[in-house]
Amino acid sequence: MKLSVVAPWVESPLKQFVDDARVEIAVLMHPSGQVLGQYGFARSVDVMTACALASAIHASSSELGRQLEGQPFLALHYTGRERQIFLGGILAHGRTLVLLAVFDAESSLGLVQLFLEEFKARLSAAPPPPIAEQASALSENFERDLNRNLAQLFGRA
Amino acid sequence: MSTSFAPVTESLIRHRGVLGAMVVGLDDGLIVHSTLQIGVNGNAFAALTASLYRKARRSSNAAGFGASSFLELTAEQGRVCTAGGKELVLVVVCETRVNVGLLRVELLRAAEQLP
Repeated sequence: MKLSVVAPWVESPLKQFVDDARVEIAVLMHPSGQVLGQYGFARSVDVMTACALASAIHASSSELGRQLEGQPFLALHYTGRERQIFLGGILAHGRTLVLLAVFDAESSLGLVQLFLEEFKARLSAAPPPPIAEQASALSENFERDLNRNLAQLFGRA
Repeated sequence: MSTSFAPVTESLIRHRGVLGAMVVGLDDGLIVHSTLQIGVNGNAFAALTASLYRKARRSSNAAGFGASSFLELTAEQGRVCTAGGKELVLVVVCETRVNVGLLRVELLRAAEQLP
């Protein structure tokens, strides 16, 4: 399975995380759902769906955290019959990103959490993204940017 | 926070050369209870050792040897000893000077109480 990224600065940390944590799927995105890099999906429509759902879940759980504790929850873990998902916010270069990881019995929540800390440190140590990339993803160009990112990921740009 | 596993880990850490003792979830690699000396990265040991133990158990089953009961990892400057039940494992982090024979006996005895 191939790792593909829209933002080159996330490539090395994301690859290391996938290798270390042995996850089946990893998607790094803006909280708005715009993808920055992904591993494990073969079709752009699947990435788009995963990002939209993950973004919505992250927004809901963050708001739940704010209502209950005055601050957003940091991460969410769900155990299925064979696979598990982990969804967590990551602070890098002054902005929050969202990581969705899907893993099976080859990995564990402990491993994902352990290597997430290293992933955060690598992202923070990576050269900062260009100014244009730091612009708000929620703008009138959202759909155009989303399609461009997906096209880049799957080699149609 | 004290749990019903506190007597187990506290008994193990009394051995000379033992730096930490933990009860860890086998499937998730998370610490259920731990008694650690300062400076021991319990979360990392727990996650990685549980993963190692799961794989050792699968290897043992694949080889037709049945369930594994004790796993010892020896490195230049320390050892990690693990024994477990079906859901939980005991992980002991120690220096090389530890009396492994004695520790093994106590670890296996303690592991019998784990679910």
